[in-house]
Amino acid sequence: MEKELLQEESQVAMIVLIAILVVLLMGIALVLFFFLSRKKIIQTALEKTNLELSYQKELLHATIQTQEKERKRIAQDLHDAISAKLTVISLTTNVLIDRTPPDFEDANDMLCHILEVTTQTLDSSRTLAHNLLPPILENFGLVAAVEEVCDAFINSQQVAITYKTVYNGYLSKEEELHLFRIIQELLNNSVRHGKATYIALDIMEDQEQLYVAYVDNGKGFDTTNTAVKKGIGLKNIETRVAILQGTFSFYSQLSEGFQCTIYINKQPQHTHEKKLHSISYG
Amino acid sequence: MPLIKYLIYTGHILLLFNTLCYAKALHKNKAFVVFLIFLIFSSITLSSMMFIAFYLHQNNLYMNTIFLIGQFILLSIFYHSLLKQRIIHYLGGITLCVLTYQYIRDPSLMMKYNPIGISITQILLISYAIVYFYKSLQLQRPTLIIVNVGIFLYLICSTLIFASGNLVFAIDIPFKLYDLLFKANAIMYIVFQILVSVEWKKNYYKKSRRLL
Repeated sequence: MEKELLQEESQVAMIVLIAILVVLLMGIALVLFFFLSRKKIIQTALEKTNLELSYQKELLHATIQTQEKERKRIAQDLHDAISAKLTVISLTTNVLIDRTPPDFEDANDMLCHILEVTTQTLDSSRTLAHNLLPPILENFGLVAAVEEVCDAFINSQQVAITYKTVYNGYLSKEEELHLFRIIQELLNNSVRHGKATYIALDIMEDQEQLYVAYVDNGKGFDTTNTAVKKGIGLKNIETRVAILQGTFSFYSQLSEGFQCTIYINKQPQHTHEKKLHSISYG
Repeated sequence: MPLIKYLIYTGHILLLFNTLCYAKALHKNKAFVVFLIFLIFSSITLSSMMFIAFYLHQNNLYMNTIFLIGQFILLSIFYHSLLKQRIIHYLGGITLCVLTYQYIRDPSLMMKYNPIGISITQILLISYAIVYFYKSLQLQRPTLIIVNVGIFLYLICSTLIFASGNLVFAIDIPFKLYDLLFKANAIMYIVFQILVSVEWKKNYYKKSRRLL
């Protein structure tokens, strides 16, 4: 009897010991689980940061590339359209000065030539300035500028464009310039690379966001081909949309045309933050 | 000398060593300071307990009660400084009221193991430790996380050991078994102190050396 009781009691103590062992094992499992989860979470966060960083780098790279391309274009335009013509004027003037006594008829021809070249140079410089910053955008706003650029494309007889703009001047001047450049880039791409014959452009605005929808019937392209993407300036558009703190999505397939949408949210902090951006990019 | 005494002495020496190390590497961090106070408190009470038990050969269970209450108060403050949750203060206050009521109603409880008191205080501390684990998932460099692992593992085992303390004493079980329970507790205490040392070595050792 006493032996049985003793056995029962030692069983109780054994149960306590086993319980302690089980609880300890569970505790260790919990600690291991915690450390492994932590490792995984940190790794995921690190990967995310790296991805963001590489995206930022890519954007920066694209911005610098675009800037360099633009400089090259301006230099080329200045050289071809202005410097060359000014050289002609300078040469003709020298001939006029050197010829003594002047032959009146000859001199008159030369002066007419100088006038003609001067007028051409003036036109060229005006076009150049216009391309750099369209005065209509500065003076009459985005809607008028979009109308002008669309009309210019329509008048070239290469493409038919239907456009609709519902916009009440929510964006700042600098932001309007970014949006205008995006539209210009899209139209240029459609005509130059896509050989589109029809384009539809909608700029809509409601209380929450500004929305741009763009569709063309051009050749389209393979969206997985990064070289094509970079070549047609989509990175440039992405950069500008990022500056506007908007979202940009596009769809294209070979021989299926190109379509894209841009959303720009109207948030209270939006204007201030973007102003900072526009200072650095403007 | 029996093995249990060796284990208790080892745990105690480690505790004294950690107290000195943490005192030397003193940080302005509130949680660190509270933990250092906890180490000092543990050193004093555990030294007194050993002195009473091994040299005066008297019952030291009332010291155990003091240690458990002090541990609860200090670790609650420690977790409050880590978790910044006011509820820890409220829960601590309520628990202390319950314990005070228990000891006023039955003062003889001071000389016994108090399974309910021990369970409530330790389970609360274990819960704080788990919440801190969860919180530190998001933190890049959580403060005293290895110490938290030590507290967590030691408390979950010691809760069961202390809570079953009265049971073990009440029934006449073979000496071998309850000796095993106390050995398990002493080993867990050594593990706890080793983890506290690891924390010091990993995060505070070089800093204190640089100060020298």
